[in-house]
Amino acid sequence: MLDAGRHPNIELLTYSEVVRVEGEKGNFTVTIRKNSRFVDEKSCVGCGDCAKVCPVIVPNLFDLGMGARKAIYSPFPQAAPRTYVIDRDACLNKTILVCENCARACKPKCIDFDMPPEEKEFKVGAIVVATGFDEYDPRGWTNYGYARYENVLTGLEFERILNASGPSGGHLVRPADMKTPKTISFVQCVGSRSVGERGYPYCSYFCCMNTIKNSLLAKVHEPDIEKIYIFYNDIRAFGKGYEELYLRAKEDKDVIFYKGKPAKIEEDPKTKDLWIYIENTDTKVVEKIRSDIVILSSAGVPAEGTAKLARILGIELDQSGFFKQKDPTSFLESAKEGIYLCGSAAGLKDITDSVALGSAAALKVSEHLKGQRVKREEEKVIPIQTDGRPRIGVFVCHCGINIAGVVNVAEVEEYAKSLPGVAYVSRELFTCSDGTQRFMQEKIKEEKLNRVVVAACTPRTHEPIFQETCRRAGLNPYLFEMANIRDQCSWVHAAEPEAATHKAKDLLRMAVARAYHLEPLETRQVPMDSKILIIGGGIAGISAALDLAIKGEKVTLIEKSDQLGGRVKELGRLLNSELNGKELIKRKLDELKKRKVKIITKAKVKEVKGFVGNFEVTIEKPPSEKGKKPKKEVLKVGSIILAIGSDLYLPKDKFGYGKFPHVLTNMELEKLLAKESKELKIAGKKPKEVAFIQCVGSREKEGNQYCSRYCCQVAIKQAIELAKQGIHVTVFYRDIRTFDKGAEEAYREARGLGVVFLKYEEDVPPEVLGKDKATTITLSQPLSKTEFELPVDAVILSVGMVPKEEDFAELQNLLKIPRGLDGFFLERHSKLGPVETNTSGIFICGCAHSPKGIADSIFSAQGAAGKACILTSKDHIDLEPLVCQVVDQELCRACGICVKLCEFNAPQLVGRGDGVLVCEINEALCKGCGTCAAYCPTGAIGARHFTDEQIDVMVDSLLVWDK
Amino acid sequence: MTKKGALVIGGGVAGIQAALDLADSHFQVYLVERSSTLGGRMAQIDKTFPTMDCAI
Repeated sequence: MLDAGRHPNIELLTYSEVVRVEGEKGNFTVTIRKNSRFVDEKSCVGCGDCAKVCPVIVPNLFDLGMGARKAIYSPFPQAAPRTYVIDRDACLNKTILVCENCARACKPKCIDFDMPPEEKEFKVGAIVVATGFDEYDPRGWTNYGYARYENVLTGLEFERILNASGPSGGHLVRPADMKTPKTISFVQCVGSRSVGERGYPYCSYFCCMNTIKNSLLAKVHEPDIEKIYIFYNDIRAFGKGYEELYLRAKEDKDVIFYKGKPAKIEEDPKTKDLWIYIENTDTKVVEKIRSDIVILSSAGVPAEGTAKLARILGIELDQSGFFKQKDPTSFLESAKEGIYLCGSAAGLKDITDSVALGSAAALKVSEHLKGQRVKREEEKVIPIQTDGRPRIGVFVCHCGINIAGVVNVAEVEEYAKSLPGVAYVSRELFTCSDGTQRFMQEKIKEEKLNRVVVAACTPRTHEPIFQETCRRAGLNPYLFEMANIRDQCSWVHAAEPEAATHKAKDLLRMAVARAYHLEPLETRQVPMDSKILIIGGGIAGISAALDLAIKGEKVTLIEKSDQLGGRVKELGRLLNSELNGKELIKRKLDELKKRKVKIITKAKVKEVKGFVGNFEVTIEKPPSEKGKKPKKEVLKVGSIILAIGSDLYLPKDKFGYGKFPHVLTNMELEKLLAKESKELKIAGKKPKEVAFIQCVGSREKEGNQYCSRYCCQVAIKQAIELAKQGIHVTVFYRDIRTFDKGAEEAYREARGLGVVFLKYEEDVPPEVLGKDKATTITLSQPLSKTEFELPVDAVILSVGMVPKEEDFAELQNLLKIPRGLDGFFLERHSKLGPVETNTSGIFICGCAHSPKGIADSIFSAQGAAGKACILTSKDHIDLEPLVCQVVDQELCRACGICVKLCEFNAPQLVGRGDGVLVCEINEALCKGCGTCAAYCPTGAIGARHFTDEQIDVMVDSLLVWDK
Repeated sequence: MTKKGALVIGGGVAGIQAALDLADSHFQVYLVERSSTLGGRMAQIDKTFPTMDCAI
């Protein structure tokens, strides 16, 4: 957020809207109206003096009306930009009264009550629509009493209550009496998966995981919570790592997952407690559950103004009121060329997918911006001299109550003043906020600080932000150090504030000691090769190659098998689409043929050398004739996109697979459907009664814990096709996960066609019985003590996706990128870096990252391609200077331990000329892990930025505790 | 002649990502947001799962 606010190539137009769009792709003229803030954006520093003197108090809509703000305000502490705004509907000055308190209090004189709205025209090549969603207002669900009962909240309102900058300062309290609730209940699918006037037919995608997260988070906030009920229809934990989080919540004995939807909620008028009435589906008894607070997981609905914007843009809406995509296999494209939909614009998405879609949209947009690059001179800052005595500035962060709720930050601030080398100390509510960043920048200059320490949260997410602030102030960013007093103090020692404060001081003292010894480092520049290699020619690899080629990038696509198209080319008609898999692939390949893409089939990666911008990949092709040697080729590329896909789980000896000819996997059925679209025959005969078993090889206790994401929606698509052929279908499922656009509607259609859905528990799966063919499926339901028996002609196993071990292991080894516990390749950050890896220049997409459906694979491929394009837009790249180096060649005895240890082949033994071998480290290959430095028996190798001296002083300072 | 840029409508997490990626590729971006601040829905929520990083 902050990055976007201060990027030199981004002109931020907040409090603004699009009023007119003319022209076409490559050449739009857009008129934007900037509404009046009545506060000058250029001069406002966000000090807040104006709000202090404003006499008007109104509900803060950012807190959904739960908190209060003044008529002149900034909605939340970390707001970017920090510029205040006057709510003229609330401001006294619009009436006959003359107030102007704020204008008098404002020192930079930013307030202008007569500021007119401004209209401005811009020339753009393409447009991204990322207008998001609003929360459904659940007042229509009168039986739940929202807005009548104070302690019934929506999901977003609950988020604000948990949030440190929210109306209760992050204290978990219920609105009626500000008491901490002991029992919390979540009701899922309020307004989602609903027909008629009570909401929308689709699944809202994010609410199951949001509830699970909040149930875990609530317990972190208040360990004394006794019970958390989650009333649900199906738990939809379909993303990477989601099922694992669900299992974590399930393991907590105080979190109760209760299948069913409450009939009504009543309030006890005296205590304001709530009574939830719900029928227990196992015992058929209506139960009455008391809860202190109820959270309605409200649907996401199209953002206000979507219809108006659609008219302005000249694009259509779908039945639910979201923007309409051109084609269900592509989330990005609207019907009008040059206008792209991302985030929740075309239908709801979660954060991870919104981020990937954002990168994907950037790629599509850049197709229309050929030759429009801007070169900007870097802002010149006067460098701060760093060779004198260290003058350390310490900034201690409250993080709202996230830290200050436990750690005595005032004491930490006082303590900091006593530490050697510390020249300046300050304490801020949110150190990462835009205002504080500017303040830090000024203080660095003003106080001549040449080292900065921030005692706040994790360097993983925030170090780059503070380093950038140092850089802007003219301070070398490597003279910055962080003490994590949130994760390591306030979070883990929440129950012991004194000890947490003590530890915070320890960590700060260590950080200051290290800062004292930090040295300025310079980034290194290496040339950037603009060629891109894509490994894997399935739908993800093809999509990435095509979009890159359209953009004009130089692409090489390699595929292990003898033809492109992967699994998709064998699929029948796709869900909610007129296309079948073969046609989809053909369409893309036809387009691909028109462009200059180097395609190499039957190729395997044999060796990978080099680093970002400068990879050398050796591939091998089988010999053209027997007896000859395999052909090798070296490809020089700047970045690599890994799109190797996945395998399907092999259900060996499960549910009679391999034993009975009438037990097929969903892929085997799909191939039959793709071939014989008119009438399905299994083993030569048309079946009358077919059963599907879901989650075969997915969501297992032992084995694959994850959900395979694609299989529910595929089963429903297949069930509909069979039902339309007059075949009776029964689906044995655990949770039906139909989250994609149109999938919930398909689920409803399937039920309408007579498809029967029967839930089973993991511990009691259905059994497939028969002598020489599968004839019966039995399912015992222990809670209701019933036994179900179904005669069948065929059984379809919906199998999960698994990483193809051989390929994954080999590429993990060659590319040096890690894999997660699930066996798939690990992304840089589960939310903010879904298509990147920890190795710069290597990207992942499609099922190499996690199981995905077709549309998901395509946009993740476009996202990865988009990220690669950021690299190709440069002629050189900066490499982090945090690497190992041979600090003293004289000490090196050429023992070669470092060479053997290094995973990245950075150290090499080379002749020095006088016949003596010494170690040399290729800085471009070195990742700075420090393994070699730690093992080097003579101390010849050191790790830059983590020198022995810097670590020693940290340890020393830890051991001297001088209260 | 001034270069043509890209218009991004909406300053939530998706819009910000698109804007940043385009800006990092050296294109001029106009990021339009209806409200007075960036961040969208994600700025309203508390921590994000599974890493529990703050949403800002």
